[in-house]
Amino acid sequence: MTTFKSFGARADVEAIIVERGAVRTDVPVLQPADPFLDTAGEELRRRIFLTQSETGQAMCLRPEFTIPVCRLHVDQASDAARYGYVGTVFRQRQNGASEFLQAGIEDIGHSDVMAADARSLADARTCVAALNLQANFETLLGDQAVFDAVLKALGIPAGWRLQLTHAFGDDGALNAALEKLAQPAKMPNLPEDLQAALDAGNVADAEALVHSHLIDASLANAGGRGAPEITSRLMAQLQVAKSAPDAGKLETLRQFLGLRVSLNNATSELEAFEANNGLDIAGAVADFAKRNAALVEAGLDLASITYDASFGRPLDYYSGLVFELRTAGGTVIAGGGRYDRLLSLLGAPSPINGVGFSLWLDRIAEAQS
Amino acid sequence: MSVVTLALPSKGRLKESAIELLAGAGLEVLPPSDPRSYRAKVKGRDDIEVAYLSASEIAREVAAGNVDAGVTGEDLVREKIFESENKVELLARLGFGSADVIVAVPDAWFDVQTMSDLGEVAASFRANHGRRLRIATKYWQLTQQFFSQMHGIQLYRIIESLGATEGAPAAGQADIIVDITTTGSTLRANALRVLDDGIVLKSEACLFVPKNGKTSSVILDLAKKL
Repeated sequence: MTTFKSFGARADVEAIIVERGAVRTDVPVLQPADPFLDTAGEELRRRIFLTQSETGQAMCLRPEFTIPVCRLHVDQASDAARYGYVGTVFRQRQNGASEFLQAGIEDIGHSDVMAADARSLADARTCVAALNLQANFETLLGDQAVFDAVLKALGIPAGWRLQLTHAFGDDGALNAALEKLAQPAKMPNLPEDLQAALDAGNVADAEALVHSHLIDASLANAGGRGAPEITSRLMAQLQVAKSAPDAGKLETLRQFLGLRVSLNNATSELEAFEANNGLDIAGAVADFAKRNAALVEAGLDLASITYDASFGRPLDYYSGLVFELRTAGGTVIAGGGRYDRLLSLLGAPSPINGVGFSLWLDRIAEAQS
Repeated sequence: MSVVTLALPSKGRLKESAIELLAGAGLEVLPPSDPRSYRAKVKGRDDIEVAYLSASEIAREVAAGNVDAGVTGEDLVREKIFESENKVELLARLGFGSADVIVAVPDAWFDVQTMSDLGEVAASFRANHGRRLRIATKYWQLTQQFFSQMHGIQLYRIIESLGATEGAPAAGQADIIVDITTTGSTLRANALRVLDDGIVLKSEACLFVPKNGKTSSVILDLAKKL
């Protein structure tokens, strides 16, 4: 039993959240499972508690708050708002109970993203401080947008860029992807007529051939991949196979991923990296600098934050800022980030910005004791 | 005298092959006196009792320690039993019931030959089609292990398919499949192709025992003869 299970402490957390100006929000414990599985992937299935409604709809005990809160925002078609929550979440973990308390604030719909980013990180730090955590903790910051800009500036093919982006933040997957990138690409074995059409750069003929294969397999109207998509990937593969992998680019990418500096030096380090390698990532770096200014304005000391170029989340809806507060032992006690692509995935008719954080109250309680 | 229970598949070619193999090892399984009975004896061996169970139940019963040994497909054990390597021990590969669990894509996906290609397609699938790549399979666990843990592919959805899985892509239920195949002829007939590195598991019938350190000498002797 952690201290935060007691009613008093839970009320404290609620008070802290509301004091930060967030609207106290409740979402049902029982949630449809599909939005979680669709966004986080099937890997989550092993860790959530699934059940079924009478009609066969897959339901689960909420494994986190961000997605339910975003769905609430979309359903209510609300104006910009900051939602604060405290409650139990359910997840099977290797260490710790499967039922634990989380609290956090999701800031949805505010278009001044720099100010919202800064407020979110400042709120997370203020909440942890207000919970009287005596132990030291470090603040780690990463930026998906800078990583994307570097990949683009390096001229890495679009298909590879997506895979690397999705592996971003998962060191093992990222290294595996980089290794593969260093191998010479192989062209698939193709039927002669298709190969000839591709070699001649005759896209229309190639598409027609692929389409006839799809028709033969009754796949032309099955609602999956069509001839244009398959052909355009083949054309891209042909191009990659012709060009040898560029060891220099990979080295530059590894150099970038090795950047880990105090945030007050990060902008100049990024500018130096940009200049030394002759890359154009000026737009992303300018945004990075603007956000740093907003962080200072929100009262944060940049010297107390570490920028790690390889820090990210391997989920495709994170789009910019990511951050974590960690104890000296490496335990994550708060995590947050910007997820501008998430609300569209959850059914918002037009893009809506979002940034937020969650506190791992059980881990904070443990760090206190 | 203690009696050990050996679980055998209750029907089909797996049953016949298992009985044949036991006969070769000098154990003649007697037909039950009532042909509808699921219990049988071994000629001259009062210390062995045969229980006929469905192949997937055998996996569960061995893992739970309810039978002393069982003959079933490795695919079922790896799929049905969570962390099976800690719960059951594979004593012998039996050389029949061979089948591979594979990842197959439509043959017309000429641009997809490897899992890495598939990873790329999965990554951009929602941007192109407004939904995740769908995989039809009855092998939830094996698919997740292979895609998520071995190949780092997270962005897909599993569509449960309990039969005629090869037909799922043409029916528009799924884009690709993870299924079991022996000769590959059903895959070809449905214009599907196994990826170059798309073998999830090379399965065959095996003799499994519970991993509890209490395997009887009767079973160990049998394993040597098989």
